[in-house]
Amino acid sequence: MTRSSLSSLTVAQIRQGLLNGEFSAHELAQCALAIIDQRDTQVHAFLEITDTLAYQAADRVDAMVVAGDQLPILAGVPIAFKDNMNQLGTHTTCGSRMLEQYVAPFTATCVARAIEAGGLPLGKLNMDEFAFGSSTETSAFGFTRNPWDLQRVPGGSSGGSAAAVAAGMATITLGSDTGGSIRQPASFCGVVGFKPTYGMVSRYGVVAFGSSLDQVGPFGKTVADVAEALNAITGRDPQDCTSQEHQTDFSANLDQGIKGMRIGIVPAFLEASGVESEIISATKKAYENLERLGAKLVEIELPNANAAMSAYYVIGPCEAFSNLSRFDSIRYGYCHSDAATLVEQYEQSRAHGFGPEAIRRIMLGSYLLSSGVYERYYYPAQQVRTLITEDYARAFERVESIVTPVSPRAAFKFGEIADPTAMYLSDMFTISINIAGNGGMSLPVGLGETSGLPIGVQIIGPQFKDENILRVGAALESCYDIDRLAPGFSAAGQRRGYSDSPRFAAELASDLCPAASTEGGAR
Amino acid sequence: MKDLQSVLWDWEAVIGLEVHTELTTLNTKMFCSCPIEFGAQPNTHVCPVCLGLPGALPVPNKAAIQSIVLAGLATNCEIMKRSMFYRKNYFYPDMSKNYQITQGPVAFCMHGGLNLEVSGPAAKERLHLEGTQPLGSDGFGAMSGYTTHIGITRIHMEEDAGKMIHVGGSSGRITDAEYSLVDYNRCGTPLIELVTEPDLRTPEEARLFLQKLRQIYLTLDISDCSMEEGSLRCDGNVSLRRRGSTELGTKTELKNMNSFKNLHDGLAYEICRQAEVLESGGTVRQETRHWEPGAKRTITMRVKETADDYRLFPDPDLAPYDLSDEFIQSVRDRLPELPDAKKQRFISDYGLPAADAENLSTDVELSAFFDKALRAASSKAVALAKPIANLLLNDVSAWLNASAVGSEALIMGSIAPEGIAELASLTLSGEISSKQAKEVFAAMVETGDSPLTIVEVRGLKQVNDSSEIERIVLGIISRFPEKVAEYQAGKTGLIGFFVGQAMKETSGQGNPKLINEIFTEKLQEA
Repeated sequence: MTRSSLSSLTVAQIRQGLLNGEFSAHELAQCALAIIDQRDTQVHAFLEITDTLAYQAADRVDAMVVAGDQLPILAGVPIAFKDNMNQLGTHTTCGSRMLEQYVAPFTATCVARAIEAGGLPLGKLNMDEFAFGSSTETSAFGFTRNPWDLQRVPGGSSGGSAAAVAAGMATITLGSDTGGSIRQPASFCGVVGFKPTYGMVSRYGVVAFGSSLDQVGPFGKTVADVAEALNAITGRDPQDCTSQEHQTDFSANLDQGIKGMRIGIVPAFLEASGVESEIISATKKAYENLERLGAKLVEIELPNANAAMSAYYVIGPCEAFSNLSRFDSIRYGYCHSDAATLVEQYEQSRAHGFGPEAIRRIMLGSYLLSSGVYERYYYPAQQVRTLITEDYARAFERVESIVTPVSPRAAFKFGEIADPTAMYLSDMFTISINIAGNGGMSLPVGLGETSGLPIGVQIIGPQFKDENILRVGAALESCYDIDRLAPGFSAAGQRRGYSDSPRFAAELASDLCPAASTEGGAR
Repeated sequence: MKDLQSVLWDWEAVIGLEVHTELTTLNTKMFCSCPIEFGAQPNTHVCPVCLGLPGALPVPNKAAIQSIVLAGLATNCEIMKRSMFYRKNYFYPDMSKNYQITQGPVAFCMHGGLNLEVSGPAAKERLHLEGTQPLGSDGFGAMSGYTTHIGITRIHMEEDAGKMIHVGGSSGRITDAEYSLVDYNRCGTPLIELVTEPDLRTPEEARLFLQKLRQIYLTLDISDCSMEEGSLRCDGNVSLRRRGSTELGTKTELKNMNSFKNLHDGLAYEICRQAEVLESGGTVRQETRHWEPGAKRTITMRVKETADDYRLFPDPDLAPYDLSDEFIQSVRDRLPELPDAKKQRFISDYGLPAADAENLSTDVELSAFFDKALRAASSKAVALAKPIANLLLNDVSAWLNASAVGSEALIMGSIAPEGIAELASLTLSGEISSKQAKEVFAAMVETGDSPLTIVEVRGLKQVNDSSEIERIVLGIISRFPEKVAEYQAGKTGLIGFFVGQAMKETSGQGNPKLINEIFTEKLQEA
């Protein structure tokens, strides 16, 4: 097996290869780790590599293959986790100096489920500090580079998760999305990213940012891969009382097509200021494709969506302020040693342990919850939340899904957006979905006319009807001949469909994975 | 300082209580499955949830919700079908998340109340009885007490914090400690906090209220209610106002009243202190004060210049908690008989005097034992109720107090209810004297034998044969002619001497009542 061919394998192909004896899970792990070794020096998606755990998982899968057991959903699939997900014995830094030394003493439910499903855990992925950001630039441990253009951000906060898939370093990664943190980086890196309906995936073991907004979801190269990942990680968890039972085979209806389906479009979104023309034209092209596939486009209104950003920057910081209070240097985490009193220890440890964006949100939340202020902001924000939720519920009486842009622009350069509030606008189309709690997916729909960078559309579904999203996504996906791997990291090093793209992230000296095909590994 | 009595003549004290109770009878903590155990090795009953590790999430303990609903039903509260958990944010090392999960404006239990019967010496603290119901007279024309209603604002659920030990330094407080240790075993233990309306007017009422609440909680078996071990903690809010005034004065909050006596004495001191401040033209500062039982005074603990800002907001990890009608009904069905109802039953069904009924009903184990003994007495239950009550309130209670086994002995069956019923029956029928009953009870405890066996073996039967007693009486009369003459000359007190002589001759087994009667008769004839 070649390194690049593993990079391009889908979940179904990996499964078939294991069953056919084309390769072992051990070889898959070996090959995936070798790819990371080579490519991540440029991308820096990984904060920790868990090779021992990957080989242990591979051995279990190989034993099942040998025994002729039914293979679990993600058998042999190289996977990796955003670094806000606890995995026993690994670091869980949340991209923060505060947790640089923190080793998780337990495993998050989503991580446990992905590994139980046969995934090979390769490591932990870079992110904006505590998921505060849209570019992964706020990580305390360096930038992650966009595999499509190493001078550009991968988006965020789950930038490492998106970049790892785009660079072919993992087949499936998990990220978390509080205001767009899965969908926006997926769009920037040209991969599929899915934020399920709130409550579909357990949050247990995922370090909280905004508990009422956070949701875990998968990244993958294809809609089918993402559907399999959802099959593995969704479902009620008794340890998260906001999680819900949802028995659906997400892979079942992918080939149903969308003939006759009513799909909502939001004209106001395309007219919003700050939306680049290449985003508008890519979105319109997607609408045309949807119509060609037989869907009926219905114009809908979300009258309160423009208030979503304001509500989000009240609710998010309030919850974050409280969630991050536990990082006080007493039990674990960064401790500033020359404090003379308890209060000094709190102040100095937190002042030095947290980066500027974390401090900004903590202070914002602390202010917004203080007495006299709370009534003026938190209450109205919750009322707005109800109105937006109702907007979506009303819209979904008329349509089965809604398609909008993901981000007002394609990936930007490092340092290009310095003003925090300008950065917040990156999430203008994604935030209202977290406020309402619905599911949403970012699907690549080609490269920007002017930037040549990947652009995605967002497909939104009614609550707990996430299968609608996948069905629309699978249909729309078929209209585009896109290699989901970034050009420099793709199978043939050739950019199908994007012949004018000037960007090669890297030229790889060799595509061969040295150890895999000759040694034979675990068998 | 003036004494309480004279202060309360001029001033009205307005008292409210906040009672924290750990639900110690539960097996596990409020939001995780760690065991609850007092005195375990530090930090052995902890997990990611109660340690507040990043990523851990709380899941409410349903048994704890049942306990608080029981408490609410037993204190006549309205059970709220939808309530929410809130986060109370403040930094302290014993708080693993730096916020405490508690409840917001709507608690599980709201708007309840208890009627408080205040009688005997306790009633004397209250000089003005407006708003109360008289309890009836003591037979000499004076009121023997009153009943007053104490409103309960709410009972809410929250989690307890860990415990800190400050090492080094002289005060035992954090300020001059070399270092501090934290034990998170208690962190996350379910607590219910009951808040009363400011309806209490005297320290005695506060004490009686807390005692009554404790008896209810013990009956519900939701906590061991140990003030010593801190599973029942009570803070008091006190303010004074001039008699006749309806406005509230500035209150102080009183802490460290870890016994019923301390609750009473702390409040009494604070009332007198406030009166002195006010009467000398000063103003009461709103502050938290610490009761020092040794020095018998309260001292300033913390002055509240501004209200603490706990940044309370709904906990997004915990969905609003809905209680179904079926759930509330199922808890109601489990509600045991409460002390007040028990007392009424003892009076109306068994004709016990109010004082006996009160003393029995307020002791969970003793009243349960009483009921068992009555069951053993079966058809004779009504007749035997009073002698059984006498045995329990005198001999059994005295033995329990002396033996240091406590009420465990009743639970563990060291004494059988059947035995007590049998003993009461022997006393009632006159087969043994009450003095002999004491001896039999002592032997029962020692040997475990039944009263009948003991009476048999020791030959303790009371002599009730009147011809036998008459023979003995006549013998004594003939032996003590001078005493007989004195008696007949009017010194009737000598009857005791004659009865004593007869008891001696019957080795204490003569029926004293019968002996007395026969002496009275024969001495008149002689």
